[in-house]
Amino acid sequence: MSDVSLLRRSHLVLAAIAGLLALASAFAGSAHRASVGTIDVAALARDIEREADHVTALELAQWIRDRKPGLRVLDVRTDSEFADFHIPNAEHVQLRSLATLVSRGDETLVLYSEGGAHAAQGWVLLRATGFTRVYFLRGGLLDWIDDVMSPVRAATVSDSAWAKQAALSRYFGGVPRVGATPMLPAASSGGKAGSAAAVAKLRRRGC
Amino acid sequence: MIAPLSDAGALGPRGVLVAGFFVGIAFGACLERAGLGSARKLMGQFDLTDLAVFKVMFTAIVTAMLGLFWLSRSGVLDLDRLYLPETFLLPQLAGGVIFGVGFALAGLCPGTSCVAAATGRGDGLAVVLGMFSGVLFTGWLVPAFGGFFLSTARGGFTLPSLFGVPQGMVVLAIVAVALAGFAASARIERWAARGRAGA
Repeated sequence: MSDVSLLRRSHLVLAAIAGLLALASAFAGSAHRASVGTIDVAALARDIEREADHVTALELAQWIRDRKPGLRVLDVRTDSEFADFHIPNAEHVQLRSLATLVSRGDETLVLYSEGGAHAAQGWVLLRATGFTRVYFLRGGLLDWIDDVMSPVRAATVSDSAWAKQAALSRYFGGVPRVGATPMLPAASSGGKAGSAAAVAKLRRRGC
Repeated sequence: MIAPLSDAGALGPRGVLVAGFFVGIAFGACLERAGLGSARKLMGQFDLTDLAVFKVMFTAIVTAMLGLFWLSRSGVLDLDRLYLPETFLLPQLAGGVIFGVGFALAGLCPGTSCVAAATGRGDGLAVVLGMFSGVLFTGWLVPAFGGFFLSTARGGFTLPSLFGVPQGMVVLAIVAVALAGFAASARIERWAARGRAGA
């Protein structure tokens, strides 16, 4: 066989391989591997019933302030929402990359979204992929803003509980109020000066 | 260099630079081996008498695309962690026009000009010097055109999201175009050469 026809043959073989792989790609559809997880439905339901699936904004604030070992706070909102404002030290992850989230060993994960629905769904996904110490922030970032960034003293709260909550709020740059309309901090701990406006945008409608 | 090697920490910051150096050498060697260090060869692409640029580039695209697709699909690679350059429609269109004019004028593009310079071609050296002066000049202009540089931002914009089809379909379409182009290239080259001879 001559060199030319050998070359031509190897080109044809390579083209055929590329063509076959491309055809297979079209059938495969997505470049992402299907992530199969398993859920122990009863165990998850038990955790939900005993409310072991979530933390409150105040609990999370305390964890962050006390530098709870192995704590990872994951923000599952969009890029721009994360850039506008986020809980200090939170990492930004997309819901779809939760399937490939790599554990860093002994850690406690807390997911949060704006209202809490996406984070709660993310909680199920992470439990399905094998993470055990996972929580979501109940009430989402909205609760964080109401209870940590600009808490208002409720009539039923004891002096000592309020003092604790107010101290926690000030730690994060919040402005605790007694009875009055809550004021937003001029520059909150989200990292940049413009975040007060972002917080205002995020506040519950009608509040 | 980008994920997965750097982000995963498989290579430290220095390792990434070393790897980048060797990848760059390999890239240059492949370009030179394909004859793309010669402006004469590249100009053949513009009058269609020599489609080597198309063949080399599309071979690289098809190889890399199929590799990325199947490495991701088999779970070796996380596509989400690859750096996806953001799209700024108008500024990149303008940049493309300037790039194309420069390419046609010089007969070399950035990669091939480095290869031409490295192999001691004078025109290659001139293009490299021109390119770096252009980079400096553009950097100096950016503050004045800041608004334009960031206009019509589309974020990480990809063909599958544009057409709303799965990635695999785009892979098939691009490979089909490439293979059809390869198959027809000899005919196109002969046809263009006849046209030139006749003109």
